[in-house]
Amino acid sequence: MVEKGAGKGLAAAERYYQDYGCRAGELKRQGKRIMGYLCAFTPVEIIAAAGFMPLRIKGDVNEPITKADAEMETIVCPLVRSCFDVSLKGKYEFLDGIVIPHACDSITRTYDIWKYTLNFPYSHLINMPHATDKPSLDFYKAELNTFRRSLGRFAGREISDQSLTQAIRLHNQNRAKVRELYELRKMNPPLISGAEVTRLLVAAVSIPVTEATELINNVVEEVKQRGKVRAAKPARLMVVGGQVDNIDFIELIEDSGAWVVADDLCPGAREFFSDVADTPDPVDGIAERYLRKICCSRTFRERRGSYHEYLEQRFGHIGRSIRDFKVDGVVLYIYKYCDPYGFDVPAMKSYIESKGIPVLYLEDEYSMSTIGRLRTRIQAFLELLGSK
Amino acid sequence: MTEEKKPEEKKKRKTATEAAAKIGPMVKAMIADVLQARKEGKPIAYTFICCCYDEIVRAMDIVPAWTENYAGICGAKRDAQRFLERAESEGFSRSLCTYALCGLGFDAWREQLGEMPPDAPWGGQARPDVMLGSGQILCDPRNKWYQAAQHYIPDVPVYAVGLPWPPYESDYDYREVQDYYVKYIVEELRGLVAFLERHTGRKMDWDRLSELVDLTDRTWNLIWETYELRRAIPSPMGTGDAMNTMVPIVFMMATQQAYDFFKELNEELRHKIANKEGEVPDEKYRLMWGGGLPAWFALNDFNYFNSKGAVFPVETTYRTVEAVYNFDIDLSKISDPLEHIAWRWVKFWTYWYDKARKRPGSHPDVERLIQYIEDYKIDGIVMHEAFSCRTWHVGLIWQLNRLKKIYRDIPSLILESDIVDISSYNEADTRARIDAFIDTLEAVKSKGK
Ligand code: SF4
Ligand code: SF4
Repeated sequence: MVEKGAGKGLAAAERYYQDYGCRAGELKRQGKRIMGYLCAFTPVEIIAAAGFMPLRIKGDVNEPITKADAEMETIVCPLVRSCFDVSLKGKYEFLDGIVIPHACDSITRTYDIWKYTLNFPYSHLINMPHATDKPSLDFYKAELNTFRRSLGRFAGREISDQSLTQAIRLHNQNRAKVRELYELRKMNPPLISGAEVTRLLVAAVSIPVTEATELINNVVEEVKQRGKVRAAKPARLMVVGGQVDNIDFIELIEDSGAWVVADDLCPGAREFFSDVADTPDPVDGIAERYLRKICCSRTFRERRGSYHEYLEQRFGHIGRSIRDFKVDGVVLYIYKYCDPYGFDVPAMKSYIESKGIPVLYLEDEYSMSTIGRLRTRIQAFLELLGSK
Repeated sequence: MTEEKKPEEKKKRKTATEAAAKIGPMVKAMIADVLQARKEGKPIAYTFICCCYDEIVRAMDIVPAWTENYAGICGAKRDAQRFLERAESEGFSRSLCTYALCGLGFDAWREQLGEMPPDAPWGGQARPDVMLGSGQILCDPRNKWYQAAQHYIPDVPVYAVGLPWPPYESDYDYREVQDYYVKYIVEELRGLVAFLERHTGRKMDWDRLSELVDLTDRTWNLIWETYELRRAIPSPMGTGDAMNTMVPIVFMMATQQAYDFFKELNEELRHKIANKEGEVPDEKYRLMWGGGLPAWFALNDFNYFNSKGAVFPVETTYRTVEAVYNFDIDLSKISDPLEHIAWRWVKFWTYWYDKARKRPGSHPDVERLIQYIEDYKIDGIVMHEAFSCRTWHVGLIWQLNRLKKIYRDIPSLILESDIVDISSYNEADTRARIDAFIDTLEAVKSKGK
């Protein structure tokens, strides 16, 4: 349970963020089994239904990569390299296993390296298709059932429909709570800063789902008390990119004189804005959500209509956030070697600009030293926004 | 130092076999055919290698324009940088697959001009009517590249064929899941046929498709048998040549031409073996090209190895076939050609699984290395890490580590540069590393004596 009394909201989030995984380690010592995973495409409901606590593996921009290179090529997305590096250094040694979805090349092509080098008792790769047509959905459902059986075997008991339905409900509640939190960002100035949101959501994927919901709820209540005392800043920005699991980049923007009021990131809107539908076979709802509802560049959406309509199909969720959160400018924050997002940059940029919103595209390497170098470009972008 | 030579000035690489020397003109003709097709209004498809659709495209008389090939040509002619820069100016990161960047830069430029970019290598890459991507378990560019290309050719439709294969897992056998993999692939291929019929006006000729499927099986067998001949000591053909003979394997599959090419190569190798004619006159070290696409602009490095008495009887790269009679199912019994293709695909990718399972701590990719080491009497392994492609170049270090752990210590070298982007390459450094590697091989050899 989240501790009561002072520090059950933002302060608790800060603790979980600073000592990432501490709650999982504590639960492990009490006999709970913990399953690590990479990426928003891991169906955490199945893991939870099997009786494990899912723990999202996180990197660390402040920790230089010193061990990973002996096993993993440096041409892998730096986020994945960092996650692997801190894992090698023992950060997650309490894990009972690791689940990796076929998200992108950097994640999938390193599966064997994770599996053999870290040698956890359990590992599984979920072979998620790229396309979203009916055959792909059916195939994906079969893959999810393979995972369900495999994890059930490891857990020592079959994963029942009932436990899946329960896990789905809990995760949907959690997502609804995050959406409530995001409402507070719509105000001007936002009731909660972008760095606070990222810190909270990172903390939330490191603790059991019910505790996470409670934690987010506490934060919502806490920041609502703030009223309108926060300073107005000239620009409201949205950040779009892959997994941003450190607050440093968001802080850099906010220190430069803007609020980050919206995002399309993990953890962030990408993984909290869509729910699993309640379906007679719970796996149907899970398959539908992960393959079709999560909007990520790794998924290939079949085109319907004109190219213009296709851009709306692929990036409409960004457009909606721009509108709903009254965004003045968008920062595309993409890691080097990130194939899914890298190929989308020109299309995304032109889509957003067609809405009259300026875009700043930044390529980064997921480390404090490179983040620092982005300061002047952010300042220049803010000046441009100010002059508009 | 990077050689700053004009394409024309670049020396032609010397091949060991006559067959390999014929490849250049064949590729040139292939590019010309696409340009001619454009003039005649024949449907053209942008295509990727290793996507299962060779027979389908051929049976429907659609002209494939192999976009990886064109980028490779630009790279080999050392004329890719301007296209890479063009892609960069469009907003694409230089860290992405440089085949894709080269192709996208080219497309953007061609569309802007309404004609081929100036002095486009070999006449240029024609505008397609459709683009056929794929979603596999590797290579994101296979579904992102053509989608990104639509930004410049928005009227050209894309189809992404789902082509997964079962991962190698410790807690279940792939045969438990293979049926639903095949079912999915068949549905995706059926969708592809419908897509092509809709967008090109061509009808599938199912009888012809069956013939081509059979021809492909026979070609696979022939290629496998031909490459197995390279086990001979001295080895009659090396990886340098195989980087030419990959052309009929990956760009001409399902054509009589590919079959005939390997028939000829097979005879040539037999002849050489009978005469004890090796890739080099005095074979000292037998190496395996154990992974990585080549630096197309630096194929002469293979000759450099040769000059030290090192030969490459085998490579894992572009050996994208097995003998289908070695599979655990009889493909000829499958009457539906699409199902046939799907099973061949799944059996190809899972070919090494059973073997790997027998050796504790092994993995199919490592098992394949071990088998080749033994079959081809290999003294050392060379790999190439091309920075821009995660598909084939992630896992190399780990494979070598594993190999040493579960099998034996064997000298190895990982070269680093790229497939297309010559700015990543340093000839002097590369050669110095090769020299050092040769010294290691020599030291190991003399220790063993
Ligand atoms: S940031 Fe990009 S490359 Fe890295 S894990 Fe995410 S999708 Fe993959
Ligand atoms: S396999 Fe590698 S080189 Fe080929 S298209 Fe994919 S990323 Fe590019």
